[in-house]
Amino acid sequence: MENVLPWYIGGPLLGLIVPLVLILREKQLGISSSLKYVGSLFAFKVPFFNYDRKKDLWQIQFTLGIIISAVLFNQLGLISPPEIESSKDYVEQMSHIYELDNWLLFLIGGLLVGFGARYANGCTAGHCIMGNAQLSLSSLITTICFFIGGLVAVHIVLPLIEIL
Amino acid sequence: MKGIITGVLGFVFGAILTASQAFEWGRIQQMFHFESFHMFGLILSAIATAALSLVIIKKWKIKSIYGNDIIIHPKPIRKFGNIIGGLSYGMGWGLTGACAGPVFILIGVHWSIGLIVFVGAVLGTVLYGVLSEKLPK
Repeated sequence: MENVLPWYIGGPLLGLIVPLVLILREKQLGISSSLKYVGSLFAFKVPFFNYDRKKDLWQIQFTLGIIISAVLFNQLGLISPPEIESSKDYVEQMSHIYELDNWLLFLIGGLLVGFGARYANGCTAGHCIMGNAQLSLSSLITTICFFIGGLVAVHIVLPLIEIL
Repeated sequence: MKGIITGVLGFVFGAILTASQAFEWGRIQQMFHFESFHMFGLILSAIATAALSLVIIKKWKIKSIYGNDIIIHPKPIRKFGNIIGGLSYGMGWGLTGACAGPVFILIGVHWSIGLIVFVGAVLGTVLYGVLSEKLPK
């Protein structure tokens, strides 16, 4: 457990990104609209993507920053798999989940994330953190549904497809 | 300049998510098995800190660095969207361990799998775009 930034440091730091993005960029924290921006680059004939994409450009810049930080962490050898002790089956699966054999799981999972984020009008950043912090009922409902969906995936779908 | 500031903020955000292992499939499994407080603590303390910051911004009428008032737009309720979209998103999160931010961390760490999740997420967004007028709000 020593290789992980503890939640009581990481969580408050994550929370501080909300006021920083408001003060330094006048934007409400969110990430999934970057996907809409990318979609609009080729699906522009669909009316939904015929919008002023410039307003979402900042999320592209934000996500580029995320990618750069991840590459840097990886290159510096700062990433080690979580040390989790548990009797549950996922611990054994953890070590080879990111292998390309599992591409279909990740493609379909990604699809559900992209579809859900747009339909729900936000993601973990926009709803869970920003929306709940502004005490939005819409975000509370969405967050509860995120968790129900996750529980279904982990306890029902993964065992069914024999990943676990 | 604005772009660089935003990129740096993204860099910091990504660094925290990476260092706290919030993008790791195992961490997300652990959360949905209620086996560790780590992810719950991370999310709850982030919400609390953000909420407190918003109260301070409002109370002291803090302005942006461009001298403008900070306006926070409410998030409208979308009965079907919040529920069905939320369930779909949550399932994707549980399967891949990646929500929207961690998709980009995976691109940086396990690039081939990361790109597959990213392509899936863009396709899912396009799928919503195509269906958006037929789906109940």
